[in-house]
Amino acid sequence: MAELTVENLHLKYGDNPILKGVALTLNRGEVVSLLGPSGSGKTTLLRAVAGLEVPHEGSIKIADKVVFNGANGIDTPAEGRNLGLVFQSYALWPHKTVYDNVAYGLKLRKIAGSDVKKRVNDALAQLSLDHLAERFPHQLSGGQQQRVALARALVYNPPVILLDEPLSNLDAKLREEARAWLRELIVRMQLSALCVTHDQGEALAMSDRILLLNGGKIEQQGTPQQMYSNPESLFTADFMGSNNRLTGRIVEISNGSALLEGTGWKLWGAAKSSAKSGTPGVGMIRLERIRIAAGPGDNHLAADLTTSMYLGDKWEHLFALGEERLRAYGDRPLSTGQHWLEVPKSELWVF
Amino acid sequence: MATVASPRASVGGASGAAAWLAQAPRALTIIVTAAAVFAPLSLILYQSVLSAPFFDVRKTLGLEAYEFIFADPDFWQALLNSVLIAAGMTLIAVPLGAVLAFVMERTDFPGKRWIEPMLLVPSFVSPMVLSFGYVVAAGPVGFYSVWATELFGGIPWGLYSLPAMAVIAGLTHVPNVYIYASSALKSLGSDVEEAARVVGASPFRVAVTVSLPLIMPALLFSAVLVFFLGIELFGLPLVLGDPEGHLVLSTYLYKLTNKLGTPSYHLMAAVAICIVAMTFPLVLLQRKLLQNARKYATIKGKAGRIRELPLGKWKWLAVGLLGFWLFVSVVVPLSGIALRAFVNNWGFGVSLVEAFTLDNFRAVFDEPTHVRAIWNTILIGTVGGAITVACYTAIGFATHRRNDGWSRVVDYLVLVPRAVPGLLIGLAFLWVFLFFPPLTPLRQTIFSMCLAYTVVWLAYGMRLVSSSLMQVSTELEEAARTVGASRGRISRDITLPLIRHGLIGSWLLVFMIFEREYSTGVYLLAPGTEVIGAQLVSLWQGGAIDVVAALSLINIVLVFIGLAFALRFGVKLRD
Repeated sequence: MAELTVENLHLKYGDNPILKGVALTLNRGEVVSLLGPSGSGKTTLLRAVAGLEVPHEGSIKIADKVVFNGANGIDTPAEGRNLGLVFQSYALWPHKTVYDNVAYGLKLRKIAGSDVKKRVNDALAQLSLDHLAERFPHQLSGGQQQRVALARALVYNPPVILLDEPLSNLDAKLREEARAWLRELIVRMQLSALCVTHDQGEALAMSDRILLLNGGKIEQQGTPQQMYSNPESLFTADFMGSNNRLTGRIVEISNGSALLEGTGWKLWGAAKSSAKSGTPGVGMIRLERIRIAAGPGDNHLAADLTTSMYLGDKWEHLFALGEERLRAYGDRPLSTGQHWLEVPKSELWVF
Repeated sequence: MATVASPRASVGGASGAAAWLAQAPRALTIIVTAAAVFAPLSLILYQSVLSAPFFDVRKTLGLEAYEFIFADPDFWQALLNSVLIAAGMTLIAVPLGAVLAFVMERTDFPGKRWIEPMLLVPSFVSPMVLSFGYVVAAGPVGFYSVWATELFGGIPWGLYSLPAMAVIAGLTHVPNVYIYASSALKSLGSDVEEAARVVGASPFRVAVTVSLPLIMPALLFSAVLVFFLGIELFGLPLVLGDPEGHLVLSTYLYKLTNKLGTPSYHLMAAVAICIVAMTFPLVLLQRKLLQNARKYATIKGKAGRIRELPLGKWKWLAVGLLGFWLFVSVVVPLSGIALRAFVNNWGFGVSLVEAFTLDNFRAVFDEPTHVRAIWNTILIGTVGGAITVACYTAIGFATHRRNDGWSRVVDYLVLVPRAVPGLLIGLAFLWVFLFFPPLTPLRQTIFSMCLAYTVVWLAYGMRLVSSSLMQVSTELEEAARTVGASRGRISRDITLPLIRHGLIGSWLLVFMIFEREYSTGVYLLAPGTEVIGAQLVSLWQGGAIDVVAALSLINIVLVFIGLAFALRFGVKLRD
């Protein structure tokens, strides 16, 4: 059952269109990530759902209640939408204690005092914050502040919880732990969450579904596996991972395969829908899919090693092939000079 | 989570009537503000096109009042004097303020921390008091004049000429320039200056060729501001222009009654409209320039860590310049008053020790009207100041985070009184109280004075309040909206508690300006509404020097108490 339905949403700032007809659904117990480069409209979309931005067309429905409809002028104000929103900056009220920050939403709902106390304490306990109830936000670490912001958004059981770049304010090490913790919390509490992020790794790890936004439109949506392994467009392929990009001409297409030809090389790859024979084409392959081969073979390239970088768990090798630059991972250092690279046909997408 | 099972709490959407009701406080605030601003002004305008005072049954509509003043050579002389003094003080205050700002912001000038508040002193002391200080300190028989005569055999300065007035006005308005110039310098990274030093420029050249050009927009703004304040001058030309009979527009207006011997409200209104016709464009120009200056400052953006420029051999020049300015603009007038308050007479051959007396203060405290003036002044600063800040806060909330037509209306609304000198607003409120019988009983209460003060300082106070409001991050309020708080609740539970320190600071600053205020009360002065500032104007006209000195000193002390509190609590004395 859909907890949140957005249809054909348009929004502009002045004459500048930000959202150009976005649609999405969020089912109960599902985590959907809005992913995209900056300026793609993902935060605007989240804020429009929250009621903090006013779209000029389309509709938003939360738990069967229409909260926005451009056609018949319905626009429930943010305070009437009963959503939980976790801000990127957390936006904890500095003059209230942790307890009061969390309790505020319940007090606004005129919940009886003893009940407020119980529910706030439960929420704080859930997030391991019970010992910090009397502290003020400035006395907390970044990770603790994030959890208070979550508790504040969850305590009144909103049907949907909105997360705006929830992890971006944490430092790199903490971010990975928080990511795992947040995913676990969402699953355990069966939350329906809409999450904005610009980090594709975060989106892959956290979500049940990903919506990739590009220029105010949804470029592609699907499960993390679909998004990563079967991108439908060059943009999606490029955005979702670390890639090698080869530019050339498509000289032949047969049985869903395309032959891409560059200066001094020819490779077969999986033809994507935009690929047309006799037109310029772009080949895209994930870094981890290129293998360093012992010798020549089908779909192999000969390239010169320019340098290698040690990454700790592996090596990243940089190769030159005419004008093209290729990168590949390996588990040991390589000698300088020419090497053979295997480009598996099914892993090279030709757009 | 245990709470998952419990029923979903929800906040109902506001119904139509409730939504309308939620708008009511805002609409009321805007209407009351508009009434407080426009009632007095429209009354002035109306009065100016009558042939006699508005209570006179023989009055007719017409432009006789304008014809009369335009035919009066004194009016044109006063206009010319106003422009000359304003131009002269601008030429003095702007370069001096800019240099002081550079020295204070950028160099290793010794003792900057405690000099800074002193730099602002002239802007906190009533111009009436300062001018009086100059008379008793440097007038023909002032303390410093007498000492100078004993030393050099003559007084190398005159105090009562037009150029002297321009110089004194210029020196005492240096803080107005200093405030804006130093803010602009603060927002400017010091790397550009260091670059100039590295290629071989001396500190002086750095100031003239690098720093000052970059803060030109701020200086341009302060030049217009000082010129505008020059057109508005009242206390200074009233005190210093009197002996030689130099009139400026405001004193011309003030003396009109004496001139004709009958209430000549229509003529006063016509002069008032002429003054506003000059000041209003200046206010609009200031607004535009300030926006420009801000834009310029944000482009320069990132204020780098400011490293102090070593003054080296220039140090003594800087010390001399700053010392001279402080001596002339602060030490001379204030010491003059302090001394005069404790002597019964002064002149050649009088010794300070022999003339020492406390009689001046006894005279003040023996006279009930003076005691009431002191009490009222304290009351209007504390209680009145608090009420005023509350009003400004209400107006601030009426426009806070709302970018609609009403907010723009309020923006201009608060700007309007800025263009009207306090003397005129006081006069206009007097008429309002006389014109609308329901308000007449309030006329004899301190409320009338407080209302006029609130309107006069509307623009200033709104700037204080809105800068507090702007510091509240939008997200804190949005967070409250998403958990279900209405606009009113957000204001009460989130925004107001967050700006309370800013509001207390504003209250202290408003206290100081209300203690200092004098011109607004001139026409509202009546038994029951005495305040020190206006009382001083009236006593000065009567020549009661001893009492004026004692009251002036009390006034200074009140301002300094406010200043001490402000410094103690770390209130920013400027924006």
